[in-house]
Amino acid sequence: MRRRTSPVQAILIGGVMVVALLWVLFPFYWAFVNSIKKPADTFRSGTWVPFLQFQPTLEHWVSELAILEIRQALMNSTIIALGAATLAVLLGTLAAYALARFRFGKSGNANLTTWFISQRILPPVVVVIPFFLIMRQLQLLDNVFSLVLLNATFTLPFPVIILSQMIRELPQELEEAALVDGANVFQAFTRVVLPLILPGLVATWIICMAFSWNEFLFALSLTTNRAIPMPVIIAGAEHTRGVQFWFVGVRVLLTMLPPIIFALLAQRYIIRGLTLGAVKG
Amino acid sequence: MAASETPTRPRRTDPTKFFFIMPAVIWVLLFTIFPLLYALYTSFFSFRFGRINQFVGFANYLRLFTDANLHNGLRVTLTFVIVTVTVQMLLGFALALLLNREMRGKSVLRAIMVLPLFATPVAVGYLSITLFYEINGPINELLRALGGSGIPWLSNPFWALVAVIIIDIWQWTPFVFLVSLAALQGLPADLYEAAEVDGASAWQSFRSITLPLMTPILWLILLLRLVEAFKVFDIPTSLTLGGPGRATEVYSLFTYRTALRFFDHGYAAAQGFLLLFIVSLIVALLFGRIRSIYQEERS
Repeated sequence: MRRRTSPVQAILIGGVMVVALLWVLFPFYWAFVNSIKKPADTFRSGTWVPFLQFQPTLEHWVSELAILEIRQALMNSTIIALGAATLAVLLGTLAAYALARFRFGKSGNANLTTWFISQRILPPVVVVIPFFLIMRQLQLLDNVFSLVLLNATFTLPFPVIILSQMIRELPQELEEAALVDGANVFQAFTRVVLPLILPGLVATWIICMAFSWNEFLFALSLTTNRAIPMPVIIAGAEHTRGVQFWFVGVRVLLTMLPPIIFALLAQRYIIRGLTLGAVKG
Repeated sequence: MAASETPTRPRRTDPTKFFFIMPAVIWVLLFTIFPLLYALYTSFFSFRFGRINQFVGFANYLRLFTDANLHNGLRVTLTFVIVTVTVQMLLGFALALLLNREMRGKSVLRAIMVLPLFATPVAVGYLSITLFYEINGPINELLRALGGSGIPWLSNPFWALVAVIIIDIWQWTPFVFLVSLAALQGLPADLYEAAEVDGASAWQSFRSITLPLMTPILWLILLLRLVEAFKVFDIPTSLTLGGPGRATEVYSLFTYRTALRFFDHGYAAAQGFLLLFIVSLIVALLFGRIRSIYQEERS
């Protein structure tokens, strides 16, 4: 956008970019390449390129996906992510509309917004004890439902912030026109506002899914057996299986691929979400 | 309906606003305020094995001052926070400044930088066991290839913490980079053009345009990183289990163990409030510096 880049600078910048990309991508490649090595190949050095340096195999993927425990965990993670994100977006969209279009006292809107944001500041370990005791009382320990509720709570700030900003950016005349035509506020909301914010709404839903999928502390504290999701499976594996590189590779990728794919789908809204609305990106 | 008498816009005082806002408000009251109050209550009791034993007043809070293991957790966490956040801020911002120009492949670069942010932290920690593996892990192999000797990453207390810190830097530097880059691209180009016409050097326009305009955003990034870093739990838990010894037993991990390994709920609750206090203090100290960002938003 300014100043010409000299050839020396261009080389320097190119070099930095390559190093940065290698640094970021290496762990992913390492996980992938190990997941398709035969166990013996993981102990040999110089096995980086499949087919050339070693014969790749899908046997670990097949055998891991056949394990009942893993399938159950994938299923649990999916239920938690879908359920929590849907709940958060449902509650969050309504609140976002209220914050964008109505006034709550003199500085009520700003205060309410800050209050919703503060959810993301609260260290989860503060509330993990009461949640554990409450869920035990409700007999919801080791139940995916409890994790759906908690993850909905802690991802709620994303839809509230992102969508209230989006609604504020919409021209209000559209809703006014609908009201003049005899629609009520609910109809203006569902027929005019919702379709217009749909891309942002879907992106926010996806971001909430990614965060809920990755959540670990509550999952570790509240599940023991049936309801264990992928992050908890992974954390326990080291002690039962030792360090087997091929096995680590498969499980790590099974766990992190869904949230990574979600993130790429919702890329446009990620900066806005992660900075709680401060930077548009 | 009420809105049908010559309405001009959704009336800003319309009581239907409560229909929209209340579900979320009630939800947050139920799932954060109530548990917080319950934790506060718990912190005044000796709460062994999930059963209330007796009211102990501030005894749980007084233990915070004398518990050497808790102080260890605080020290480990502070070291972690200071090192990771400093490196992430410097590296991320420098990278954003360097790459803030027209070039090919920028959107691909941005997409790749998003990957670490959403890689499940526990999985990253678990994968790191193999990355830092002492015998044939790739990091030690690289060090040996460069003529050095392997480092006892996970068995030495110092290097274990370094490993945890490196992984966090890997995961979160892209956040600083992406947000800085987005903010840099929003800066008004005409200011730079004017400065260039006036013969300002690159360094001068950085000092007098870029830095002042970026300051609030940098404070915001710092605030978000600090808050997040103090909550660190996943990576040390999966990479080192807090070890060797207690070398990487961060605050949240220690509290988690107090609560769910030793079932000392009252004391764990008091520990939680100390962490909440620290985090709130940081927010209170820094919030003044970032308020301007949100005020522009409202006006």
